[in-house]
Amino acid sequence: MLRKPMALLKKDFLLEISYRFSFFLQFGGIFFSVVMFYFVSVLIGESPTVQNSLSRYGGDYFSFVLIGIAFSNFLSVGLGSFSTNIRGEQMMGTMEAMLVTPTRLPTIIISSSQWSFAFTSLRVAVYLILGAIFFGVDFSKADVLPALAALLLTVIAFSSLGIISASFIMIFKRGDPIAWVISTSSTLVGGVYYPISILPDWLQSFSYLFPITYALDAIRLALLQGEGYSSAVGRDLTALIIFSLVTLPISLLVSRYAVARAKKDGSLAYY
Amino acid sequence: MIQYSNMADTVLQTNNLTKEFTRLRGLSSPRNFFDKITFTAVRDVNLSVKRGEIFGLLGPNGAGKTTLTKVLCTLILPSSGSASVCGFDLARQQSRVKASIALISSEERSFYWRLSGLRNLEFFATLYGLSGRQAAERIPEVLEVVGMTEAAGRRFQEYSTGMKQRMGLARGLLADPEIFFMDEPTKGLDPLAVKELHSLIRNQLTAQGKTVIMATHHLAEAEQVCDRVGIMSRGSMRAVGSVRELAGDDSLADFFHFLVKDDLSMEH
Repeated sequence: MLRKPMALLKKDFLLEISYRFSFFLQFGGIFFSVVMFYFVSVLIGESPTVQNSLSRYGGDYFSFVLIGIAFSNFLSVGLGSFSTNIRGEQMMGTMEAMLVTPTRLPTIIISSSQWSFAFTSLRVAVYLILGAIFFGVDFSKADVLPALAALLLTVIAFSSLGIISASFIMIFKRGDPIAWVISTSSTLVGGVYYPISILPDWLQSFSYLFPITYALDAIRLALLQGEGYSSAVGRDLTALIIFSLVTLPISLLVSRYAVARAKKDGSLAYY
Repeated sequence: MIQYSNMADTVLQTNNLTKEFTRLRGLSSPRNFFDKITFTAVRDVNLSVKRGEIFGLLGPNGAGKTTLTKVLCTLILPSSGSASVCGFDLARQQSRVKASIALISSEERSFYWRLSGLRNLEFFATLYGLSGRQAAERIPEVLEVVGMTEAAGRRFQEYSTGMKQRMGLARGLLADPEIFFMDEPTKGLDPLAVKELHSLIRNQLTAQGKTVIMATHHLAEAEQVCDRVGIMSRGSMRAVGSVRELAGDDSLADFFHFLVKDDLSMEH
C-alpha cells in the first residue's frame, strides 16, 4: 500500500540531491536568516514594549521569531507544494507517463508533496538546532507532544488549502489566487514576525480566520513555555481541528471536480 | 454499454466513440466572449482490433489519431460513445484498463532526465504495481529485450534519441500489458533506429501475442509494420483494412497521394 508513495518520495529525493549545490545552498540560507534575526533581536529585544508583548511566550524576541520563521515554512510548503509539484511534472512531461499507470491520481498528487514536507521538517529542525546551540534559545521546558499535534493539524489544514490551490492549477494552469491570498495574509496577520497583540483590533480579528495564528501560538506555548494541553493550547488545537474538518472535505470535492474537468478538456498533463 | 460476450479474440472495441472539445470564444471576439466553440477531434469511431494484431491509425497531422489514442488510454474522457479495452469498460473500469495497456509516445521528456534509465524503470515499475521482487526480475529482462542493459546505469539525459525511445518501449514492457499504444513511435529517429524499433515490434511484441495500436502518418511505416490500418481524417475513421486493400480503393486515392507526398518530403 505504501510502495507507491515511497517510490515517489525516493524519486523526489534522488532528483533533489542530483542538484547538490542547490541542496546545500538552502541550508546556508537558513544560517543567514537566523543570524539576521538574531541581530534584529539584539537591537529591539531589550525594549519593554517588545518584552511586554511577548510575555505570553517568555519575553524573548529571538525565540519568538525563530519559531515563527521556522514553522511558517510549513505554511509555504502546505499551500504551494501540491500545485508546484503538479506543475513541475506537467512541465517536465512526466505527468502523462504517471497518469497512464494504474496509480490513482490522488496518490500521485498527495505523494508528490512528501519530499517537500520531509525536507521542510529537516529545515525546521536545522532552524531550531541552530537557535538552541549557537544563539541560546531555551527549549528546556519544551513539551514536544502538543507541539507535534499542533504541527500535524497545521499540515492537514494547510495541505487542504494547498489541494484547493492545486485544483486551480489543474484547470487554469497558472494564476492561483488561493495560495497568494492566504500566504500573504497569513504572513501579515498570523503572528510570524510579531505577536498579533500589537495589531489594531480590527486587523487582529482577521488573524483568527487563518490557521497559522493558532498553529504558531500553540507551538510557541508548547516549545517555549512547556504548556502541555493547557486551555490556551487546547483552544488552538480545537480551532485547527475545526479548520481541518471544514477545509479537507472541501478540498477533496474541489480537486475531484478539477480532475474531472481537466480530463474532459484533455489538459491534465499540460501546463 | 456494449455487450462483450463472444468477443474473446477482440481486445479493443469502440462504439461511436466521440470526443468534442469546447471552449469559450474569449478575446478573439470580445462581443461574443461567452459563446462556446466546439471542435470535434474524434467523431463516431467504430473500431474492432483483434488480439495479436498490429493496427495502424493512419492519417495526416490533426486527423485525431493522438486524441483517439489518449481517449483509449483513459487520459481524456470521451464526450459520447463507448469502448472496451481488454474486456474492460473505458468509462467505468479505468484502473483495470490502465493495468492492461502501455502508452509509448515519441515524447522523450516523459522520463526523469537526471535519473538513470534504471532508476526510471524502478520508479515506473512500482507505479505499474510490480513488487520489489517482480521489478528486480522484470527490469533486466526488458532491458535485454530493448538492448539497453549496458547503458541502464547512465543518466537518461545522456541517451541518444533512439536509446530514449527504446527505454520508452522498455517501460511499456514492464507490466507485460496486453495492448501497446504507440503514438508516432519513430518520430525523430534515424532510419537505422526506425528499422530496429520495427523489428522489436514485429519480433518481440507480436511473437508474445501482444496487440499494438500505432498512430502514424507515414504510409511506408504502416505498410511495413501494420496488419491493418484505420484511415483517419478530420476525426473520422474513413476506412479500415490492409494498406494493400485500401490503396486499391479509388475513393481514397487523394488521401494516399497526400501521404506518399508527405513521406517523400520527409525523406528529402
